[in-house]
Amino acid sequence: MSVATTQKSVATTQKSVATTQKWSRFGWAALTYLVVFLLIFPVIWMVITGFKSEVSAISIPPTLFFVPTLDQFAQAINGGFGAYLFNSAVASLVSTALALILGIPAAYAMVFQMRKKSADNMLFFVLSTRFLPFAAILIPLFVIFTRLNLLDNLLTLIIVYTAMNLPLIIWMSRSYFLDLPKEVLEGAWLDGCTTLQTMLLIVVPMAAPGLAAAALLSIIFAWNDFFFAVTLTYTETPTLPIMVAVFTSNEGLFLAKVSALATMIILVPVLIGIYAQKHLVHGLTGGALK
Amino acid sequence: MSQVAQAPQKFTLPGMHRRTTPAPTLEGRGGRTWWHLPALVFMITLTQIPFLLAVWFSLHSWNLLVPSEGFPFVGLANYITAFVSDPNFWPVMWNTVQLVVGSMILALIAGTILALLLNRPIWGRGVLRALATVPFLVTPSVMALIWKNLFLSPSSGMVDWLFHLVGLPNVAWFSTFPLQSIMFIVAWEWTPFVMLVILAGLQSIPDEVLEAAKVDGANAFMTFWRITFPLLRKAYEISLLFGTIFIFQTFAEIYITTSGGPGVSTNTLPYYTYRTAFTSFQIGQASALGVIGVILAIFAARGMLRLMTERTVSERN
Repeated sequence: MSVATTQKSVATTQKSVATTQKWSRFGWAALTYLVVFLLIFPVIWMVITGFKSEVSAISIPPTLFFVPTLDQFAQAINGGFGAYLFNSAVASLVSTALALILGIPAAYAMVFQMRKKSADNMLFFVLSTRFLPFAAILIPLFVIFTRLNLLDNLLTLIIVYTAMNLPLIIWMSRSYFLDLPKEVLEGAWLDGCTTLQTMLLIVVPMAAPGLAAAALLSIIFAWNDFFFAVTLTYTETPTLPIMVAVFTSNEGLFLAKVSALATMIILVPVLIGIYAQKHLVHGLTGGALK
Repeated sequence: MSQVAQAPQKFTLPGMHRRTTPAPTLEGRGGRTWWHLPALVFMITLTQIPFLLAVWFSLHSWNLLVPSEGFPFVGLANYITAFVSDPNFWPVMWNTVQLVVGSMILALIAGTILALLLNRPIWGRGVLRALATVPFLVTPSVMALIWKNLFLSPSSGMVDWLFHLVGLPNVAWFSTFPLQSIMFIVAWEWTPFVMLVILAGLQSIPDEVLEAAKVDGANAFMTFWRITFPLLRKAYEISLLFGTIFIFQTFAEIYITTSGGPGVSTNTLPYYTYRTAFTSFQIGQASALGVIGVILAIFAARGMLRLMTERTVSERN
């Protein structure tokens, strides 16, 4: 009987331990959900505000229940959104394409052709380029582009964004090339592929997921840039981040309209970033951390 | 025909045509190549040459508002002006240090908490992690505007509404605590980055180590402080160095919220460089400030490069 009691009490203890664990797990989960919600609340609230009317957007206490309207989105789009979108899209896409064209062969050379020491020197150079404060090179670039009559020209943004994203493309491609199974490459060379064939037909397809991630990150960086856009091409070829700044300074404060515009602008980097999330850390830290 | 021409080279590596020993392995590197040259030339043209130009400009007096003065050589006068006679320089440097250190510490703490929470097995963890990266992805200039008008505005901001609810007075955030407000926005943006790096670090810690600690009777706090935290050393170094280098360059957040004001209270070194060039048009002086910024960044970057070399060596061996 005493044995049975002990067993019973053991069972009860185990059960209560299990219950406690269950509740503590629930508690941790609830806390995590709450913290993440608070972290992204500004973005959530901005999206909600974009669907409000101006009157309810500005009302205090904040309105949670309202009739959603697309008016603000329509107004933002009619306020010249298309032209800004065009500039942003062209600048990010073309600069990314150029960075890939320049960067992939460079990474290929670093991984498969150059001596280790030269490859390391090259990597050092690439990294130091990305860490150069933009403010220092802005002034000479401004002077050069003024002399070349390229100020306020989309081409200027494309060139600058290519330079900004080239290091990212090189160091990401490099680390993905390093991970490729070497037997396949040796096989390709034994089969008599030229260097160009090896790169385009073997290396690039095999590293495609990583290269795609590198390209996506590069698009985000160009899309989100404000510094070069505001200093080099503010008047003639402004990008979307400039549109928001102009919008508020010219038209006063229209919270709902600004929120609608902001929502449309952040949609691209947020969707791309979530899609390429796995590669985010790896890409940003130059493969220092996998 | 090109096939024929290539036949003798069948057992050499691409780009290694001068090599004589047939060794079709990757270790047989060292061939001549020019494939990195276009990228190299492009980067030198767009970054190194402009930097050298900046150094050259910085040794001259060049004021766009007074073109009659021309472009006289002044030696180190611009640097001396910055260090000695410009009353704004040291306050600006101090702002820079405060912004970088303050945002970094906030982001490190918040990022660690988030990473620890999101490392636990809970339902929907993947989605939560993806959502938690959003502040890092959003366009900084756009979000700075939203923070300013939707949250930190003294009239229509949600933060002030919450303050009002609990009986606290309204605060004009960007005039009363300008630098702190920007610090907060920047920390908010960089928290997900720290979280991602720490999460990657946490996932690289073998379960056996943590199990062993549990068996030895360590509580959760002890386990984190004595085992997890030291093993995350590299993750913290990376967060710190990348965070520092990029937060140093903060621009849009300052431009949109305070434009550097009131006074110079939210001017950081890069912002002050920009202002000296684009609103005071003192190109020589601004170039000197830019060069000082580069020298500071080099110190920070050296640490980063050391980390990168560590990995390069280990993965090649």
